[in-house]
Formats: sequence, structure tokens, C-alpha cells
Amino acid sequence: MNGGRARFAPAVAILAALAIASTGAACDPVHDDAQASLGGETNGDHPGPTHRPGEPCLVCHDGKVGDPRAFAVAGTVFEDPSGRVGLSGVEVTLKDSAGAVFTTTTNRAGNFYVNAGAFTPIYPMRTTLSYGGQTAQMRSLVGRDGSCAGCHTDPSGPASPGHVYFHELDGGTP
Amino acid sequence: MSGARRGACVAFAAWTALAAPACSAPSPDARFVATPPDRATFPPVAEELVHRCGTLDCHGSSSRNLRIYGSTGLRLDPGDRPSATQASTPAEIDRDFDGIVGLEPEILSEVIASGGAAPERLTLVRKARGGEEHKGGAPFTAGDDQDKCLTSWLAGHADADACARALALPIP
Repeated sequence: MNGGRARFAPAVAILAALAIASTGAACDPVHDDAQASLGGETNGDHPGPTHRPGEPCLVCHDGKVGDPRAFAVAGTVFEDPSGRVGLSGVEVTLKDSAGAVFTTTTNRAGNFYVNAGAFTPIYPMRTTLSYGGQTAQMRSLVGRDGSCAGCHTDPSGPASPGHVYFHELDGGTP
Repeated sequence: MSGARRGACVAFAAWTALAAPACSAPSPDARFVATPPDRATFPPVAEELVHRCGTLDCHGSSSRNLRIYGSTGLRLDPGDRPSATQASTPAEIDRDFDGIVGLEPEILSEVIASGGAAPERLTLVRKARGGEEHKGGAPFTAGDDQDKCLTSWLAGHADADACARALALPIP
């Protein structure tokens, strides 16, 4: 009888640890509130590479239990400062403070994403956008948030430059 | 009124005039630091702190304890926007100065009074160098240009050249 208990003890301990870990991950009120604040899918979109342009991707794509796959860096590039039309085909180059470089391209929604594991930037990081022979570099550093929209929120204000865009209204680059 | 009485009245009035300021409450905006750092040489240090620490996702966030205002990060004036084409305003630099001084005013006074000796007494320096838990890691290394920029100012001889070089770090 005692031997049976001893045999089951490790399995029970593992199950208990898993239960605690998953419960803890699912009961993070800050995380839950951040996700809830994003609301549901819009414009008939479904979860996928083109959904939720302009939203802070890593709020959900953070690799926590029950969430979609983790991204290291993700965001949306829009055409200009006044509108919310995504710009496809923008080359996004990320360079971290150790000199590692990763390049990807925006899709038809203007979204880009870098899967965790494909590139693990050592922050701070610089970002450069290239499109149609023009280049625009983000002048400040990315300190630690892999979601562009973590800082680039709309409307622009003292704490946000507004959404990421490539063309100024006069045709130049930001 | 006799001369003696007039003299007593004058003395009482003079005493009242001198004592009144001593009994008044200090201004709520007043700051008292025994040995304050030099505000005049702080602007290049502020620019470096904005560049390296004050991004919108770090100390340029209004939810952080040490809030840093500046051109490319959090703006003080509601009408301003984060921008690399604008300089930080004097009001923002004032606010950053107050933020740094207000962290540990007594220890800061001791560091300033000792000519910047052992700056790691300050949590600001320990966190920047990674000597204490810091979510932003260890952005400064003792002796690099970023570190020199800050610690030379604490020592009373701000190295503006180091601050200028630090603006190109850590990603050229």
C-alpha cells in the first residue's frame, strides 16, 4: 500500500505543478485586461496573418499557455499618417544591440511578424523600413517591447507618435 | 510716545518682520538637497538619458517610477509629440533633473559632496550598470561613454564629449 502511494507521488506532484502553472498563467489579471481591451475581431477577420492590423500583437502572441504562438517582434506599417491603410511589401529590418540583423516583409494588411526563436533581439533594437527605393529609420531605440503598437498608438499625443507609416502626406518619409 | 516706547515698537516690528518668513510654510514646489548636482551642465546628460533610458516602452512610459521626459520619448507639453526633429524643452530637462535628484536626495548629496566618489551608492547607477535588478538590463558598463556621461556629471565635471558619443550607442 505504501509502495503504491510512493509510486504515484511523483505523478501527482507533476500534475499539481502543471495545474498551478497553467492556472497562474490564465489568471494574470493584467494580461487578461490587456487582451480584453482589444475587443473582438473586426471587419469579418479571423485570426491569421492579416488580422488586427495596428494592434499590439504581443499582448496575445506572447507564448503564454492557451495563447497563439509567440512572436518576438510584430507590427503594422500603414501608408501615411492620416489613414489606416496597410502598406504591403515594406521591408522591415531589425538590428539589435549585439549587431544581429533580421529582415522581413509586410503582408497585404501591412502586418509583419517574427516568430519567437527565429530572432531573439537583445534590446535595445533599431528598426528601418524600406519601400520603393526609399528608406526610413526609426530615430529612437526600441527599449524592450516587441509590439510596435505598444508605443505607436492612435491618436498621436505626448506619449505616442501615432501609428507606424511610411509616407508623409507630402510624399517624403518620416 | 516716549523715545523708549518708540524704540520698543520699532524693535518689535523688526522682530516680527524677521520672524514671519521663518514661520511660513515652505513652497510646495521647493526642493531641498544639501549639495545639489549642477543643473547648468545637466542638459547633455538629460539627452543621453532620454536616448538610452527614456524610450516610450521604458522610462518614457508614464507608468514608470523614474519617468524621463524628452524629445524622442514622453513629452511634457500635451501639444508636443515624440520627435527626433525637436529638441527636448527646458521644462522637460527641469523635470528630468528633479526626477534624478528626487530619487535619493540624501545619498545624492553625499556623492556630490565627495566629488562623485563611489557613484554606485546611488540606485540610479547600480540599476544602469546592472548591479541591481533592473527590467531594462544593464544598459551602462562602468567606464563606457554612457556611464562616463552620468558619473562625470555627478563628479562635478560633466563630460559633454562622452555624452555626445553615447548618443550613437549602443547601435551605430
